This record gives sequence, C-alpha cells and structure tokens, in this order.
Amino acid sequence: MESKNKTIYLKPKRNAEVTQEAVFLKDVASLTCGDEHLLAKARALKVHQFREGGERRIVVSNLRMIEMLQELDPGISVEHVGETDTLIRLVKTDQTKGFLVWAKVVFVALISFFGTAFTIMAFHNDIGIHDVFGRLYELIMGQQSNGFTTLEVTYSLGLAIGITLFFNHIGGRRITSDPTPIEVEMRVYEKDVDDTLIETADREGKTMDAS
Amino acid sequence: MLLRRIITGALGISFGMMTAGGVFTVLLAVGLIPRFAGKTHTGRKVMLYETMVILGTLAGDILSVFEPQIGTAALQAGIPGTVWQILGGSIVLCYGLFAGIFIGSLAMAIAEMLDSIPIFARRIGFRHGLGIAVLAMALGKAAGSLYYFWERIFLFGG
Repeated sequence: MESKNKTIYLKPKRNAEVTQEAVFLKDVASLTCGDEHLLAKARALKVHQFREGGERRIVVSNLRMIEMLQELDPGISVEHVGETDTLIRLVKTDQTKGFLVWAKVVFVALISFFGTAFTIMAFHNDIGIHDVFGRLYELIMGQQSNGFTTLEVTYSLGLAIGITLFFNHIGGRRITSDPTPIEVEMRVYEKDVDDTLIETADREGKTMDAS
Repeated sequence: MLLRRIITGALGISFGMMTAGGVFTVLLAVGLIPRFAGKTHTGRKVMLYETMVILGTLAGDILSVFEPQIGTAALQAGIPGTVWQILGGSIVLCYGLFAGIFIGSLAMAIAEMLDSIPIFARRIGFRHGLGIAVLAMALGKAAGSLYYFWERIFLFGG
C-alpha cells in the first residue's frame, strides 16, 4: 500500500445541487487518484448533513474539503484545481415537474409575450412611426401613403428577420450551434447569484471553513 | 415606380432589422428574462421564453403598425356582442396585467443596473428595512400610474 501514489486530485464544483440531505464529497467535486481504494474512501466522505426544515444552502470552503481528506489519511497529498468555495444547494426533486412548475412557465411566457408586445408598441408610439413612414413614403413615391404600404410590410418583415437572427433560433430550432443570447445571460446571472451567496456567507461567517 | 418601390422595400427591411437590434440589446442588457427564469427555476425553458419574446414583438408590431380593427372584425364575423365583451375583455386584461408586470420589472431592473439603489443605500448608511423601501417603491409606482390615468394627464402632454 505504501508504494502507491497517494496524490489525490480534487476539483470541486462551484455550484452543486443535491437531492439528498446527506452530501458526500462525490456529489460536490470530481476526484481522481492513483490509489483506487483511497479514492473510493474519499468519494464517500460526508461533507455536510442538511437538517430537516433548516437552511437549504451552505457554502463550503474548499480548504475544509482538503482538511477532511487529510483527516482521512495523513499521508495524503491533495492537488486542488478550480474553485475556492463551493455552494451546495438542497433541491427537492418535485421542483422540476408538476403543475406549479407549468403554471410558472406559462406565467413567465405570458409576461415575455405581452411585455415585449407592449414595449414595441410604446416604441412605435414614441417615435410616431406613422408620421415617419408616411413622410418617407411621400418623399420617395411622390404620393400620399394610405398607412399600409411596402414600407410597413417590409419593416415588419425586417423586424422578424432581425429578432430571429438576434435570438438565433426559429421555434426550437437553432440557426447556428451557438447558445442564444438569453442562455448566455442566464449563465451570467447564475454566476452573479453564486458569487453573491458565497461572498455573503463569507462576510457573515457562515462559510463551513477549515478549523 | 418599381425602382422606388424597391428602394422603399430595402429601407423598410433595414429599419426593421436595426430596430430589432436596438430594442433587444437594451432588453438583454437589463437581463430581465434570465431573472424571471432564475426566480421560477425554469431555466430549461429559456428557448420557449425567447420564442414568446419574438412572437410578442411581432404581435405588438402588427398591432401598432397596421392597426387591425380586431373588435370590429369580430363583431362583423357574427360573434355576439356579449361574448366578445368577455373574450376581448380577457385579452385586454391579460395584456394590461402582464405588460404591467413586465414594465414594472424593467423599470426596477434598469434602476438596479445603474446601481442607483446600492449607491443611495450606501450614502445614507441604510442597513435594514430594504423590504419596506421596495414595498414603498412598488406602492409609489402603482399610485403614480393610477393617478396618471385617473387625472388623464396624458391628454395634456404631461
């Protein structure tokens, strides 16, 4: 056993979602080690136990994880890659399906629909789109606009093409394989939230840190 | 005549694409929809929300540019007046409610993006009672909006 390489590589996640109250190291980090036996023991290390009805969120300093590994076997050498703090969140399995989730999806979809419909209408009202188009039509065509001309039709067409290109998909089909802008924003937002939670926990001294 | 029509058409297309770019860059910079999706834990449905944004914009565009007389058309098509009162009424209700939620969130998101709230809070040494401040802002916005419409301020140009 002594001849085996006792270097363990630890790559904790930044944000780990777990469904069980008992959180093991394998749930919150990827590990690799030359010593299979040690690796199995390390993976099964208990990092945290969520209490029923208690906080559903905890920030664990990665130093604490290293400390746990060293407690497991003093001869171990830990190579840490990646994050410095891990946010562990206990989620209920019924949070991904069920009626309530559908109601929420419909709610957000309706806000997105009516909200943007109102935004573009208010924008058209602001710029006085009928005046602009009417005058432009007269300038070019030399005759009175009746409010339903090439300009209005092609404008709407251009708007449709513009947004489709911007959001990079038609219905569920992507035009290119890039993520859509809202998907990117979504990740940025999640990252900001994680950063805030980790820093708040640190400031309030709630981080589960190395002793 | 055809040449002029082609010029108008080219102008129309480019205006439309530019508007789409401009309007949506602002909307995206504010990051409203990711926030809705994050709050409701429905990040998987982002594609649906984007589709709704696209459809919503097109619906709004058609309504404000072409001004289709939907109510008159519905009554002419033989839908009884009372039925249309309910049907049309519920469309208007949905429009008002959800557009209101959207604009309310947008206003606060822009205020937040400009960091006005954190800066203010820091200046006056504000630590507790943020919830009350937010509630006060919401009530203020609702009261202001109702007053605006009640007094018909829009008729006199603000």
